Amino acid sequence: MIFSSIEFLLCFLPLFLLLYGITPKNMKNGILFCASLIFYAFGEPDYLLLLLVSVVVNYFLGLHLARGARLKGKDKRQKKSKSDRKRKNLLAAAVLGNIGVLALFKCGIGKGELPIGISFYTFQILSYLIDVYRGEERKETSFVRFATYITMFPQLLSGPIVNYGEVREALYEREFSAKNIQDGLKIFTVGLVFKVLLADRLGLLWREVQVTGFESISTPLAWIAAFAYSLKLYFDFYGYSVMAVGLGRMLGFSLPENFKNPYMAGSVREFYRRWHITLGRWFCRYVYIPLGGSRKGGLRTVLNLLCVWLLTSLWHGGSLNFLIWGMMLWALIVMERFMARLSGERLVPQGAFKILPHLYLWFVIPVSWMCFAITDLSQLGIYLGRMFGVVEGIQVNSGDWEKALANYGVLFAAGCIACTPALQKLFRKWKDSVWGMLLLIVLFWICVWRLRVEGQNPFMYLNF
Amino acid sequence: MKWLKKWSYMLLWVMAGVIYLSVVDDWQVYAKPKEQIKIWYENIVRNMENLRMDDFTEQAGTATYAEGTEMTAGAEPDGSMPAVGEIVSAGEESVAPGVSTSGNDADSPEDAAQSEPPAAGNMQPSDISSAQNVEKTDDEVIYQTVEDDYFADAVFIGDSRTVGMYEYGGLEETADFFASTGLTIYKLFDAEIVPVEGQKKKITVEQALTENSYRKIYLMIGINEMGTGTVESFADAYRAAVDHLLELQPDAILYIQGIMKVTAQRSGQGDYINNEGIEERNEALKQIADNDRIFYLDVNPQICDESGGMTPSYTFDGVHLKAQYIDIWKTFLKERAVVK
Repeated sequence: MIFSSIEFLLCFLPLFLLLYGITPKNMKNGILFCASLIFYAFGEPDYLLLLLVSVVVNYFLGLHLARGARLKGKDKRQKKSKSDRKRKNLLAAAVLGNIGVLALFKCGIGKGELPIGISFYTFQILSYLIDVYRGEERKETSFVRFATYITMFPQLLSGPIVNYGEVREALYEREFSAKNIQDGLKIFTVGLVFKVLLADRLGLLWREVQVTGFESISTPLAWIAAFAYSLKLYFDFYGYSVMAVGLGRMLGFSLPENFKNPYMAGSVREFYRRWHITLGRWFCRYVYIPLGGSRKGGLRTVLNLLCVWLLTSLWHGGSLNFLIWGMMLWALIVMERFMARLSGERLVPQGAFKILPHLYLWFVIPVSWMCFAITDLSQLGIYLGRMFGVVEGIQVNSGDWEKALANYGVLFAAGCIACTPALQKLFRKWKDSVWGMLLLIVLFWICVWRLRVEGQNPFMYLNF
Repeated sequence: MKWLKKWSYMLLWVMAGVIYLSVVDDWQVYAKPKEQIKIWYENIVRNMENLRMDDFTEQAGTATYAEGTEMTAGAEPDGSMPAVGEIVSAGEESVAPGVSTSGNDADSPEDAAQSEPPAAGNMQPSDISSAQNVEKTDDEVIYQTVEDDYFADAVFIGDSRTVGMYEYGGLEETADFFASTGLTIYKLFDAEIVPVEGQKKKITVEQALTENSYRKIYLMIGINEMGTGTVESFADAYRAAVDHLLELQPDAILYIQGIMKVTAQRSGQGDYINNEGIEERNEALKQIADNDRIFYLDVNPQICDESGGMTPSYTFDGVHLKAQYIDIWKTFLKERAVVK
């Protein structure tokens, strides 16, 4: 089941909220866990067992990894003790096991399709295990609480990848109040609008271009379609994340933000600190920093970054286009670091030139998304060739881009505005005013109506 | 009052929802779940009743009723049930398709037609007409190869496939196109899809055909109708549309183009679009041609591979030709021109 579906919005969610509301406090986790399993089973009944096995096994692994952690701080002889080595081996086995299962599915066993959400919940489990091993988090002794943390439906399918520390307190004690429910619903509505009224509609342009065939689009249309895809991907995933945060709020959780206006960034480096934040943070915490981060000299930093971006590409999928995408970003980030070091403060643009870094970003990011979007390499070559006018077009309708702009201009404008922080500011300011509330309610039901008319669209990040 | 203020947003939200569902949706959202719950409930009641009857029947009868109980758990209503219950449930089941599909209003009447028995009766008239056509096809049509200017007094009418021809066939200046994505034969004449220069509102196909005159009409339509009606009801609607077209354009000849097939992969997706269905309907369309004013053209051999479906490399979505392969279709039409 996905958030932007009639079944979820008008059947599952109201029923669940009623049930959840009348459940006594100490059983709320239990009911949330059960509801999450039902939620998962609606979309992926075949892999429900895999999810359950993963949760049970990792629950026990967590218990064992923590054993001996209290020895920390005592004298150093004990640290090197046998149990410590055992714990280390266990962690290695746990990480390899979890990653192994994920890798097997990524490489295409099992019907060729990934079990929904596996990339996300595997990473969440790993973050928990490593934190417990490091002694940064206490182990979770209650199975229901642990299972709720991993499977709770707001974040089960596509993140955000929540660190255990962020929700631990809420798992013990959280507030289920009128204010939370209504605030959560407002936030949820914004996400739904992003998904249904922006992402799905902009996606149509991308679809049209694919149906036409990349050989036959004009160069301006190639760029317009790349921008459309960039916006679609953003609002699809951002919309999902906002909905997740909103649902979390309804239940009394405070889930982390996944996006902070990425398209307003001035460099690729900054972009990826604002895009899919919880994944970037995961790689930073558990790969980049342990490798030495940027503290071990220029060459090591470059290699560490390479490592992170290789893994990021692999996380998105085993096909070659993701590798090209990751390597392109890695090269750009390394270049940016080099430039920054070389120029120091001198090259910081002033006045009207402040737009330059943004133009650079809006130029490279759509190109990188095309490498991300087009899995067939020869097709990718043709598309990039059309973007830069290197590949000769076949049967090109030279006026196609004007038509696209005429049809999608309004959506583009709305999308661009929604990329800026202005919308969030307006939301915070108006969400409790009468007109703001009415607008949100009307938008919500418009979305429901659109979903009725056009049918639902799956989220793009469900493929990862 | 304090309570009211506290929950104001939720109350407004629910009120808006009730209004929306009552006015726009007629509560159809819940039709399917309701139906499902009803079936569950009926199964339970049925099982309970059977169980209760087990208690009252004598030892010998118990075995047969127990068998019956097992069967009711499945989809089929069994014979051992009380007769009244069976009639009630059968009646509801036949209602169900109408209720669940009435969301897309185009479907429901045709669906109803499909479930009606007269389908068998319809076979006969079409058989007779095909027999007539066999005689007519004896005089072979002489097709010639022509240039683009042949289409100068032609109009192409059709669905998204024809839109593709309009955008990438290079004929947008030469011929007229009354085409729109999702167009069906049932709504052909009432669709407001023809733009008029210097006017914002589009006019209907009927209107456009009344105001302009053409010598050739190319019709490519039928893929969107696959989910509705039977082959016969589709062919009847098509025939009526063809007759009306020729009535509106007395000087024109009309080319019925066989529905383009989809890729074998798309065909195997298990929904209403599949190549077997397309072949059946094309067979019916062929019968409408009289080779005097109405001609039947089938581009499928040109665009299909040995799998029997559209060549996968020619298409992205399995349904529409990519722009660069529209030429195959156009060339085909140019080689099959009737010159009078």
